[in-house]
Amino acid sequence: MYDKTVRRRRALLAVLVALSLILLTAYFGEAHGGRLHSVQRGFLTVLSPIQDGANKALKPVRDAFGWVGDTVHAKSQRDQLLRQVDKLRREVISNESEKHAYRELLALYKLDNQLSINDYRPVTATVIAKSPNIWYSTVTIDRGEASGVRVNDPVVNSEGLVGKVAQAASDGAQVRLITDSSVGVSARLGKSNATGIVQPKVGDPNDLLLQYLPANAQASRGEYVVTSGTVSSRDDSLYPPGIPIGQVTKVNEESAFRSVDVHPLANLHGLDVVQVLTAGAGSLPANVGRLAASLPPGAPSAPGVGAESLTASRGGP
Amino acid sequence: MTGRFAPALLVRIAALSTAIVLFQIGVVSAVPVFGVSVDLSPLLVAFVGLLCGSMMGAVSGFAVGLLVDLALVQTLGVTSLIFTLIGYWSGRLRELRDPQAALTPLLVGAVASAASLVGYSLIEFLLGVDAPVSLELLRQIVLGVFVNAIVALPMWAVVRRSLEGALPDDPRRRRRRAYTTGGLSPLSRA
Repeated sequence: MYDKTVRRRRALLAVLVALSLILLTAYFGEAHGGRLHSVQRGFLTVLSPIQDGANKALKPVRDAFGWVGDTVHAKSQRDQLLRQVDKLRREVISNESEKHAYRELLALYKLDNQLSINDYRPVTATVIAKSPNIWYSTVTIDRGEASGVRVNDPVVNSEGLVGKVAQAASDGAQVRLITDSSVGVSARLGKSNATGIVQPKVGDPNDLLLQYLPANAQASRGEYVVTSGTVSSRDDSLYPPGIPIGQVTKVNEESAFRSVDVHPLANLHGLDVVQVLTAGAGSLPANVGRLAASLPPGAPSAPGVGAESLTASRGGP
Repeated sequence: MTGRFAPALLVRIAALSTAIVLFQIGVVSAVPVFGVSVDLSPLLVAFVGLLCGSMMGAVSGFAVGLLVDLALVQTLGVTSLIFTLIGYWSGRLRELRDPQAALTPLLVGAVASAASLVGYSLIEFLLGVDAPVSLELLRQIVLGVFVNAIVALPMWAVVRRSLEGALPDDPRRRRRRAYTTGGLSPLSRA
């Protein structure tokens, strides 16, 4: 009796471990359109309405927890924001006249046709689930293919860039955050216009690194980093130019390429409502995105500055 | 004793697991504590193992892991593998040692959380994620274990309350029997 129980227990453990390893190997090895990925998307379709309902029902609980933390930080944040508002007001006033002159010049040289955020159709979505561990920087939203959301669509919120759509089901989608190790965004420094690739900082899941900047690039602490509107490989998402990503916190000069530490502007821990920048069939972003996807497979994936393969403009190749 | 999968117990574990996983991904994950999120799922699996034994612990660990991977669109099998081992280990702890100290759930919860976080890290390294060991990562793991340990005792109360009555061998009855007979029944040692 005892031996039988022991054998059964060990056999069950062996079966479950083997099943897990088979699942892991099969999932990791198959393409995104594979069978297990399809099952996962199907599950997401079924689960999204339930998660949506649970999310709405439990929002007061979440808000109550969040309120405690927010209150603790509110005072210091208020003082900091007041100082920032003063600084920004002065900047806005000085920028207005420059902006006007810039527009005139763009029109003069027929460069006023670049892809902008206005070419997209934003779909507002609520975050209904979030991965709890430090290895998966993903959230699930309650809008999917039925609302026009497609894989690789950029996702933003009021603060800045959030990530991109990794998988889409009919009524839900998984968004990979910019802090996920598989995400890279072509970006430029706000003042110097030097471009590079923003990737998660190795070993620090909450921070980013803008790397592959030219060796002579000038960067200063507090400078803003924005999307450059280019892609560096066929797997990249085409983010419209000018979306704020983060602020420079440190300049590193230890390698041949200069890099800077970037703290994301969007509070990725407290995401509630986001906007997916969708592109209708035949629209400019869709056409440019299709062009990006048709890049040859060997296109560089983490190149230097000059290697960006596609610039998002109407007058592109 | 540990080999019997009573239908009532299975139903309760399934309902509890679904509710906790939904609560986890819908609420708890959105509320960072000290910069990390509390992860209730390894605690759930460890406590099911601690209450129901190694086989039920392993099965519920596999199922909860699969549910988490499906719901969060993660690599299938990673969480199942880790949670299966956590459930089995905590079940064996009950079968071999039968710890009765009041702080047992706290320690088991902390060990389960540590195993879960370190297990994730190891598997992600094996799968080729570019994130070498750093002080920041270590800090996140230590903080994760700490915040999970904080919620371990309330979580233990929830799991025990939810499964009480359907357990094959009620812990309180078992303790009473151990007290009156001077030891556990040999049948429950399997």
